[in-house]
Amino acid sequence: MSEPRPVIEIKGVSKRFDATQALSEVSLSLRAGEIHSLVGENGAGKSTLIKIMTGLYPADSGEMTLGGEPFAPRSSADAQRQGIAAIYQEPSVFPDLSVAENIFIGHQDQGMMVDWSTMYREASRILAKLDIEIDPRLPAAGLTVAGQQAVEIAKAISLDVRVLIMDEPTAALSAHEVDRLFRQVRSLKEAGVSVLFITHRLEELFAISDRISVFRDGRHISTRPANEVTEESLVREMVGRDPSDFFARGEHPEGEAVLRVDSLGVSGVFSDVTFDVRRGEVLGFAGLVGSGRTDIALSLFGVHPADEGTIELEGQTLDIRSPRQALASGIAYLSEDRRRLGLSVEQSLVANVTLATLNRYTSALGLIDRDQERADAEALRQRLGIRAPSLSTPVSQLSGGNQQKTMLAKWLNTHPKVLILDEPTRGIDVGAKADVHKFIDELATSGIAIMLISSDLPEVIAMSDRVAVMREGSLIGIYPRRDATQERIMTAAVGAR
Amino acid sequence: MREWAAKHRWESILIVVLAATIVVNVSLSPFYLGFGNFVNLFWLSIEKIIVVIVMTFVIINGEIDLSVASVMGFSAAVMATLYEGGEMAFVLAILIGIVAGALAGLLQGLVITRFGLPSLVVTLAGLIGFRGAARVLLEDRSVGDFPEWFERIGQQTLFGPFPVALVLFFVGLALAWIILERSAFGRKVYVIGNSADVARFSGIEVDSVKVRLFVASGTVAGLAGVLFAARVGAVQGTLGETYELDIITMVLLGGVSIFGGSGSMLGVVLALFTVLNIRNGLGLANIDGITQTGVIGLLLIGSVLVPNLARRYRLRRPAPEAMAHGPP
Amino acid sequence: MTESAAEAAPKSTRFLRPERVKEATLLAIIAVSVLVFAFLIEGYLSGRFFNRVTTSVVVVTLLAAAQALVIFSRNIDLSVGSIVGVAAYLTGDFLAATGQGPITAVLVAIVVGAVLGSVNGLLVAYGGVPAIIVTLGTLALFRTLLSIYSEGANVLAGDLPSWVLEFNNVTLFTIAGFQVRLVFLIAVFVVVGLQFALARLRWGRRIYAIGSNPSAAAQAGLPTASLVFWSFVGSGALAGLAGFMFLARAGTISATAGAGLELESVAAAVVGGVSILGGSGTMVGAFLGAVFIDTLKLSLVRVPEVSEFWRDAFLGILILAAVILDTVLRNRFNRRWSAEARKAMESTGPSAVGMARMAGGGGGTADA
Repeated sequence: MSEPRPVIEIKGVSKRFDATQALSEVSLSLRAGEIHSLVGENGAGKSTLIKIMTGLYPADSGEMTLGGEPFAPRSSADAQRQGIAAIYQEPSVFPDLSVAENIFIGHQDQGMMVDWSTMYREASRILAKLDIEIDPRLPAAGLTVAGQQAVEIAKAISLDVRVLIMDEPTAALSAHEVDRLFRQVRSLKEAGVSVLFITHRLEELFAISDRISVFRDGRHISTRPANEVTEESLVREMVGRDPSDFFARGEHPEGEAVLRVDSLGVSGVFSDVTFDVRRGEVLGFAGLVGSGRTDIALSLFGVHPADEGTIELEGQTLDIRSPRQALASGIAYLSEDRRRLGLSVEQSLVANVTLATLNRYTSALGLIDRDQERADAEALRQRLGIRAPSLSTPVSQLSGGNQQKTMLAKWLNTHPKVLILDEPTRGIDVGAKADVHKFIDELATSGIAIMLISSDLPEVIAMSDRVAVMREGSLIGIYPRRDATQERIMTAAVGAR
Repeated sequence: MREWAAKHRWESILIVVLAATIVVNVSLSPFYLGFGNFVNLFWLSIEKIIVVIVMTFVIINGEIDLSVASVMGFSAAVMATLYEGGEMAFVLAILIGIVAGALAGLLQGLVITRFGLPSLVVTLAGLIGFRGAARVLLEDRSVGDFPEWFERIGQQTLFGPFPVALVLFFVGLALAWIILERSAFGRKVYVIGNSADVARFSGIEVDSVKVRLFVASGTVAGLAGVLFAARVGAVQGTLGETYELDIITMVLLGGVSIFGGSGSMLGVVLALFTVLNIRNGLGLANIDGITQTGVIGLLLIGSVLVPNLARRYRLRRPAPEAMAHGPP
Repeated sequence: MTESAAEAAPKSTRFLRPERVKEATLLAIIAVSVLVFAFLIEGYLSGRFFNRVTTSVVVVTLLAAAQALVIFSRNIDLSVGSIVGVAAYLTGDFLAATGQGPITAVLVAIVVGAVLGSVNGLLVAYGGVPAIIVTLGTLALFRTLLSIYSEGANVLAGDLPSWVLEFNNVTLFTIAGFQVRLVFLIAVFVVVGLQFALARLRWGRRIYAIGSNPSAAAQAGLPTASLVFWSFVGSGALAGLAGFMFLARAGTISATAGAGLELESVAAAVVGGVSILGGSGTMVGAFLGAVFIDTLKLSLVRVPEVSEFWRDAFLGILILAAVILDTVLRNRFNRRWSAEARKAMESTGPSAVGMARMAGGGGGTADA
């Protein structure tokens, strides 16, 4: 296997949107049976490249070849017909259709009639190959995110693609699910498919990639075999600066307990969860997605009230039945789902920052004090370094990292005693991630009790004073900082092997 | 000026259409510019335009209320039935009629929020049900012979040449404007329209806001029913039938998104003026009501279609960030 | 993970499809109400009544089908009532002038409807205008065009060929006083045909896919615009056929014929379990919805204790009850299957449905 022929070759592709040069003269090639990772900060041009490859945008200049032939897809359907498919961070299934139909819906090569029994049989075969046991006749409405992604991979397999693009497929997956996904990706590779893999998690990169390419500011910086790349060099190439000041968290004196949770439970979801969070402490929550971490947060925040156990805040027992009550008592929750639960993206930056604290700005007549509102928002904007054209800019026009900071500003403005952060750095670039880590540290130092839920193991270990590990709805243990190694926490999270 | 127009494209389009309508109308008829015609313009549609204002809130909130016209009929029927019995002071009958409208709104709001049902369906049931209730009360009778003061209620001048109804309308409009664009309640209406889940996670009392809006919608529809009865001097079970479509058309023409979360009171007021002026102008030119409605239907489609096509022509390529995640 | 990877097609008895449950429920409710009416009304269970219902339900059935077809793709057609009016009037006018036979007449009506439907489809699918705005506009516009065309004159029954007025009564065969009439059979045939097409043809599944998740449909490379366009053309054609049936039943057609039928058709579809948010429901359900509403309408007036004016009030309550029941059923089904999926996927994650429930349920019409 000396220097295999590239399946797809991209040469000098550029793309410009009004004032922004999204891609300039980018070249990249994928070999057959290769897993090729693409990394870079948000705005580096990865998404634009994918959209050009899948026919959503035409390139301004440059050319692509697929199997030696010129390739210029006019639509995603066209790209699919020619053998290129993409799986996105948030899989898009059809909830009302069956799993089998979800797999086969985009096929152009079927006849007029739907042959149900063949379709079900084929779907079962593909799912079995992926080591997934789902009845293909069931509607997709009940699938987990991992299940939905499995369906998307099954779809790609059924399409016999030559190139599969995976845009942050692991963002919403637990470590266990990532393992299974990687097995599936490797089996695709063995079948000769080229995989273009995009992720923000560096450790995954080294686990799965054959080669790694770095993009920055719309330019191709480097492409090297994975075993020649180090974490440091990679980060330096991505951000163009030194990575030494990530994970900046220092030691903290122990304060008194602010929040005490005793034998908390929601039937069928989690049970008998007992812990406390101290003033100025960051209590990390590790565990697989679905192990109950987010569910504890939702229950403390009153979205899904607990049916057993007690919650005590500064010595007072609370019965929290709605987010409204939680906020009034001083508990704030930064959701993992920014776009669906976090921000009102059509609204301005100011409106979002003051969204959870509107009453503070409301006069007796019910009118909003707009000057005060802007003053507070401006202060938070500066403190968090939110980059936005103006305070009136709709949040939808900000970058992912700045949106995340806006959401953080919204919750800080409630002056919480307890701040629950659910995957606060998911899907944002390395620079913004470092900023968020710095704020978490600052906030803890200022005396807020913080609960940090994160699937990013190095992050949760580096940021937390203690790490609580959840498994299947139970709290397995709480590890002080010095005992919290990746191996120990992973073992606890997945259970004895 | 240009910046404003770029930011408020919809309103700018409406201003142009409105200006054109007025120019055409002036050239069409010497009576158009008279004060009497101006008052008539509003008075003849008073029951629609007051409902339009509340409907603006409801649609920005991401909901819809198809039942307004039926609630108008229902409230008027309650009032007329009570009055017909002759045992009740007429003022009390009016009040009870309006309260009946409020209760109708409350009922629908509660069903929508408690069961999480789409308001389109619930208020469709309301449309049929409350119209039915009006018919139950009045069967096929027509109740009239109201006290004289009632039939003059709208035209009575308050101060100067301004009739009561008109003054009330403009006061109500100003209030609604302030509430929508300057108050905490208005802010919540927009945020919920954008995403009810985000609002709920921000501690906003989503259900309560929705229920209050439906109660407001029912109350104002009730008031509109009473005003209608005063204007025409009689109540039948069919009072106000099919007005819901006209009312919703005016709100949508005002640039309020049918999906909720965006729209402005200025846009709706401009749409309202435009529709009234077009009808007035076409009326002066002896064009019948059905055709007038058709012209407005055309305008409704055109007002969304033309900017769509223009945008597609101008920007064949979407902006990078806006398209980064595809449509919601 | 177990080794028993399902190689063969899975057994088909493990779960009930929610749409079958809905249809069965509605059928049971219809049966119960018929029994109740039979108890209240003397001589209710007669052939005569059957004949009346099966004749009168035809127009609403066709319109419920027309409506369902576009609702499946997360659209709505508020102009069907106007299309019925235009098709009925133009067909009547054509027949009065030419005296043609039934096949030509039906074709004319369908073509008229399809043309009007294509106007809606063009604006929605290629103009990017939301269906509710387009069809609210064409509801008025089509009516206006008809009013201009008619110049205030009616199509008179007396001017029509004689076969038109007899068309409604053409009976194919009779079983113990129960006549099976041609018009009813046509409606049933249309419903069954569409049900088959939607369940078995690729085209039909794609209509559901669009309604279930429009952006995913585009991403999967489905020709969404043309599918939506043709569903509006189909809806228009069905409304046109309903227009012909309307003509055959009424004989005399004014420029306002068919007004208000748009909302009745939505009501029938919704009662029949068609989700207003698109992606789910069946033609058979819509048909049962139409039958149920029509049976109630025709029966209530015959109950001596109930004033005829109660009909609509009752209907409103009924629609509400139907959608509440539907929501309860759907939630229960989703919860159960969600639990199953969790087990199947071994490592559980908060499912989409579960999250929505936790977040407090439906986000209203803006849920898209």
